Amino acid sequence: MIQLFHVWKYYAKRPALCDITLQIEKGEFVLLMGPSGAGKTTLLRLLFCAERADEGQILIQNKNVARIKPSAVPYLRRTMGFVFQDFRLLQKKSVFDNVALPLLVQGLSSFDIRRKVSEALKAVGLEHKKESRPAMLSAGEQQRACIARAIVNSPLILLADEPTGNMDPDLSAEIMELFKTINARGTTLLIATHNRQVVEQVKRRVVTLAEGKLASDVGAGQ
Amino acid sequence: MKRIGYMIREALTNIRVNQTTTIIAIVTMAFTLACFGVFLLLYLNLRGAVGALQDDIKVIVYLHDNLSAQGLADLQQRLTGEPEAAALAYVSKEKALADFRTQFPSEQSLLQGLGENPLPASFEVTLAPRYRSADSVKRWTDRLKAIPGVAQVQYSRDWIDNLAAMIGYVELASVAVGLLLAAASVTIIANTIRLTLYARREEIEIMRLIGATGAFIKIPYLLEGAVLGALGALLALALLKSGFEFMTVHLAGPGRVLGLTPKLGFFPIQVSVWLVLAGLSLGTVGSLVSLVGLERSRA
Repeated sequence: MIQLFHVWKYYAKRPALCDITLQIEKGEFVLLMGPSGAGKTTLLRLLFCAERADEGQILIQNKNVARIKPSAVPYLRRTMGFVFQDFRLLQKKSVFDNVALPLLVQGLSSFDIRRKVSEALKAVGLEHKKESRPAMLSAGEQQRACIARAIVNSPLILLADEPTGNMDPDLSAEIMELFKTINARGTTLLIATHNRQVVEQVKRRVVTLAEGKLASDVGAGQ
Repeated sequence: MKRIGYMIREALTNIRVNQTTTIIAIVTMAFTLACFGVFLLLYLNLRGAVGALQDDIKVIVYLHDNLSAQGLADLQQRLTGEPEAAALAYVSKEKALADFRTQFPSEQSLLQGLGENPLPASFEVTLAPRYRSADSVKRWTDRLKAIPGVAQVQYSRDWIDNLAAMIGYVELASVAVGLLLAAASVTIIANTIRLTLYARREEIEIMRLIGATGAFIKIPYLLEGAVLGALGALLALALLKSGFEFMTVHLAGPGRVLGLTPKLGFFPIQVSVWLVLAGLSLGTVGSLVSLVGLERSRA
């Protein structure tokens, strides 16, 4: 599903990622661990084509994203979902409209949009808040709205960057349970985090980065 | 369809949300286009006035006295067939004399003693509009002089040359002013859209992440620019019309005192429609300029 071969990325001639080779199979749940500055976010940014690798190859669903045309990037992103630490919800739109955006972009009918958004909101337990603005929600609810937006499109891959970064352990566990449910439906998950508690909560494959290098890969094949 | 509806809604929301910026952009755009409109109005009225004067320009083809009746008929037929001649009037020797006596009653003594009528017969040719340029008239009159039976050809060349030069200068000035003001309009709209883009940069980033194409993101901003440009042009037209009515009312009095009755006219409907379309196009170009910047800043 996701393959990286000897990937290098430099910022101002300093390597942020050094010779990363990694394979993630379809349906896997992988935690990307490492301290701040280890290169977790850089790796995710390469996967969703916000940046290009300076060296090496990245294959996503057998497509080489290192050579992908800029005009093809939106279509690749439609097969992925993204969850961020800061939620990145549109504050002027309701929860329903935020979750509906990926479907609107693809030109789905109003009927299909309503159906899929309702399903996604139900999956994250936010059906009753669909008319609310993001500012009226708690941090946990905002993250669940963000997850609903990421899964509304039934993506093959879900990437999350520190999704529990600002949350207390209980809320963090709740969000991780949600990710496990999504993974159980067949979606491949790659979650970047520096929180060691998450490893205990999830008990899945853990890939660790340190100073841009692949330090360990534990639990592969589970 | 759903996507188009979304794009239009987004454009209108942008305009509504950024009211102050929008109003400033429309008013500035209106003043800029009004400046160009004043020049255009002046040019169109001047061209109309000059056109009316040009209608009076005639080429006089004097004939030899010994031209036979058949020769006269042939010449008349030939001149009528020339594309340069819009209208042709024959002035016989007798009519020429009568006209002279009517126009210069005090100079009749000059003709006494000459015996026979010294004035030649002639054709007064009104030029077709597309052949009124100085070069065209010169070429044609040179050709006429070579025709048998033609004694002399006269036309008010200086007058035509001066008129042509004046229209040329006004045209040139209009184009120069138009280009400068068009650049100003594009800059105004580009800055307005740039402010909107800056205010909504995070939203644009989110749209990119969820798989929105460049067109899906940009079209609302292009629509916004087009609407701002068109509204600016409409306001400019309203300002110009008000100013024009005010001027015509206040200029009519002094004009009558000086014995002038200026025939001023506002833009015909086609020109007004073109002005609004020009505003719309300038607005769209302004947005495009900003969006090129957005593309460059893309992560």
